This record gives sequence, C-alpha cells and structure tokens, in this order.
Amino acid sequence: MKLADLAGKLIVIEGTDGAGRTTQINLLKPWLEELGHAVLDTGMTRSPLAGEGIRRAKEGNNLGRVTQSLFYATDFIDRLENEIIPALRAGFVVLTDRYIYSLMARAIVRGVDPAWIRSLYSVALKPDAIFYLRLGVDELIPRVIFSRGFDYWESGMDLYPSHDMFESFCSYQKALLAEFDRLSGEYKFETVDASPDARLVFSFLKARILGVLQNNSQKVHFFRQLPEKKPPMVHSPGIAPLSRATLAGARAELGRQPFPDSSRHGPNGNGHRPGEFAQS
Amino acid sequence: MDTSSNVRVGPFEFFLPSHHFAPALARTGDPVYPGRLFIVEGIDGSGKSTQLVLLHKWLESKGYGVVFSEWNSSPLVKDTTKLGKKKKMLTPATFSLVHATDFADRTEKSILPLLKAGAVVLCDRYVYTAFARDVARGMDRRWVRELYHFAVKPTVAFYFRVPLETAIGRITAARDCLKFYEAGMDLGLSDDPVESFRIFQGRILDEYERMVPEFALTVVDATLPVEVQQTQVRQIVRTELEKAKELRVRP
Repeated sequence: MKLADLAGKLIVIEGTDGAGRTTQINLLKPWLEELGHAVLDTGMTRSPLAGEGIRRAKEGNNLGRVTQSLFYATDFIDRLENEIIPALRAGFVVLTDRYIYSLMARAIVRGVDPAWIRSLYSVALKPDAIFYLRLGVDELIPRVIFSRGFDYWESGMDLYPSHDMFESFCSYQKALLAEFDRLSGEYKFETVDASPDARLVFSFLKARILGVLQNNSQKVHFFRQLPEKKPPMVHSPGIAPLSRATLAGARAELGRQPFPDSSRHGPNGNGHRPGEFAQS
Repeated sequence: MDTSSNVRVGPFEFFLPSHHFAPALARTGDPVYPGRLFIVEGIDGSGKSTQLVLLHKWLESKGYGVVFSEWNSSPLVKDTTKLGKKKKMLTPATFSLVHATDFADRTEKSILPLLKAGAVVLCDRYVYTAFARDVARGMDRRWVRELYHFAVKPTVAFYFRVPLETAIGRITAARDCLKFYEAGMDLGLSDDPVESFRIFQGRILDEYERMVPEFALTVVDATLPVEVQQTQVRQIVRTELEKAKELRVRP
C-alpha cells in the first residue's frame, strides 16, 4: 500500500462515554458535505466481520480482558483495511468515533500490558487530527443518568464488581479519564472542553477542522505496515517482512520508541502507580 | 516479586527484553502453576492429532485429570471466524486477529484456570500455528509473536516433522477438496488449490523449521510408525509428570 496515495483526511473524535462524540459527528458530517467533502463516518463495532460477534459476546458478560482487546482489534483492523484506507485513497474525510486510543485506555485500565496493546495497534494509521472531548466525571454523570442509564460495560462492572453500579461507574470512568489524559500527552491530542453547549463545541471543531483540511495529509503508520491485501506471487521478493533496520528508521522518523513508557506501568493491578496522575 | 524482570518466563524473552513487557497474563506454566501443558504442532497431514488422541487416552487410563483444547474452538468467537471464512472477508491481519481472539478466550477461560487447578492440558495446535500461518501470509514476524504475548508457555511443545510431499499425499488422499484459507487461496499463489496448498504449506514448513531452535520445540520424526512416535511422546510426558507434584486425579 502506498501511503502517499491516501489523499483523504483521517479525523478522530475521542473522549469517554457520554462526552458528546456522536452528537458532534452528526453535526460535522452534514457540514463537511455541504462544503463539498465526501465523508465516511465510522466507529467501534461497526465492522461486518466482528461487530455482531462483539455485541453477542458482551451480552454474556463473560468476556475476558485480553479476549475483549483482541475482539475489538479485529473489528478495528477490519474497518481500517476495508473502509478507512479505501475511503482515504478516494479522498474522503474520515470521521471516526473513537480510535485506537479508546481501545488502549479500556485495555490498560483493565490491567492489560500497555506495551502489548501498543504493539497490537502499531499497524494503525496516524490520524491527521485527534480531538479529545474531555468531560470530568461529575459532569458526565447527569448526561448518563438522563439519557441511557448505566450499562454493565460502561460501568466497568467486569473490573469493579459491586452491588452498586453507580459506584463502579464512577471508579471506572475516573480510571479511564486518567488514562485518556495520559495518552493525550503521549499522542498529542487536541483537548476540547466538552462541557459547554454542543453548538459551541461544534463551532470550535469546525474552525479546527478547516485548518486540518488545508494541511498536507501525508499518512504514516505508527511503525509497522500491514501486508498488501493480495501479497505478491511467491517468486517476488516484495513480501519480505520489514527488517529491523527499516523499523528502526520508521521509529526514528516518528521520533519515539515503540514502547515509550511501559516502564512507568506496574506489572499488576490497573498498571498505575499511586500519585502518577498528580500532574494531570 | 517483580515478575517483569524475571527471565525464566515465556518463550517470548527471545524477541523482547523482558523489562519491556509486564505480563498481559501470567506467562508460564511450570514454576507458577501446578498443571502441565502439552501441545502438538506440525503441518496438516503430519499426524499430530492422531498422536495427541493416543496420548490423551493413555493419560486418562493412568488416572490423570486431562483436558483437551482444540485450535479455533472458542464458542464466543467461532461464529465470527466462520463468517469471515465463509464470506472470504479475512485479510492476513484479520485472519491473524480472529484466531488470536479465539485463542485468548480459551486461554482466559480454560487453559489458564485449568493449569492453576493442577490439570494436564493438551492442545492440538498452539501459538506456533499462528506464528507459522500468519507469517506465511505476510504478517510481520515480530508483530505476530508480540500479539501472543499473553500465552502460557507449554511444558513441552511437540513438533511433528514430516516432508512436505508426505503430508500432501496424506491430505489429498483423505479429502475430497481443500478449503479456501487452508489452501492459502487468499494469497493468490496459484489458481489451482492443490498447487496453492503445496506452496502455502511449504512456507509454513519453513516457518516451523525456523521456530524449532527459537522456541526449543521437541522434534518428533513423523515419518516413523505411529507406535514408535507415541512411545517417544509418552516417555517425554511421563518424565515431566513425574517432576510435577500437585496434579489432579480424575474424579
């Protein structure tokens, strides 16, 4: 795959549950279309391959943390290869409701090794922009109570089992928020205060996205490539996996180590050390 | 104990310094868990499943609490894999990921708890199958190894080594037709399924041979008579079980 061919823009809307991501995408899509841009909007569990499987697996409430991470990765890569990349090649603006960062945050708060999850998503494309809709837990609660109510997984009941779903919800969302804040620094999210009226957030996003649309859109992988959809015939030398040297070059280009801060995570529990978020 | 700096665990210390990876799950059978994990690997037609069935029967007759886990058998993931294969939706990357998801579910729900409980666990195919097939499909060798970082290292990994032509002869004699992904038809190697299968299995064989030293696989000559192979396997398993202290007996 020639990354230079991907002329479209990949715009990520991230944020915790209830931060208003979907609302914003529903406003942004018609606005972009009015400006004359072709838009693909995509989000978690929407892949034809794994979406249904994940929904069914979540009904049973017996999805382990590693299995969960891999199931979501299957869904993500299916959409990346079959929707996102073809759309970018055709020059679309791709608006994605969550990206690898939500999947990383959910896995890491569940105690999955951060280095492992980073390696898993090393084949993803770097977005042109990441807007992180940030909302504190206190502001999040009323939005959840008065819209859809508490949900088993959004309350992290697998992680914080409790008779009190509200308590689990608060603990889980706090942990997620802390992880998002940490990822925000590492991956250079643009943080957007999600507490004002949706119209205000929308105006802010519009201004930023207009800027993004004018930037050069050269795409890069985080540091690994996916194989061609149809790998070349057996006699072609083109199929050789990336050499260490190529990888090292790619990393240097990205200006960071593949597993930048795994040493900061403890081996057990939720992977955090006490006081680690004091500065965020 | 700082497990992240403990080098005894996992086959995975060969490709990543252990301090990079705190365990996604605990990573090894032997010193931590009372159970024992024996797995068989080899290309299609190597006779590994026959050998595992015979080993299973023997262990049961000796009174061990034995549990068998098959590649690609998680009830949670099976429908997704089936859908992807039937509709030919799988790319090398998603082929790799659905199998990893299936394996993760079996690891989290059965393999790991059973080893903790002191059972003898037998697996027909293990992570090495994924390493061989996914790399043969063009996935990055290191990425696939890291993907299975959560796997428990087997007590013994038997590799049934057989020449390509012998295996192909056994498979084509036993089957009417080859399946699409089994024959590697997704790779566009050849329009003829048997020829595609031959090229694809050849690549897989190369990957297995590379893994023999990398993961210290126990090689069994699969051209020998079934009984001779089984005697070798039982001898190695017996030695390992005699070292184990807290194994379960059958109820």
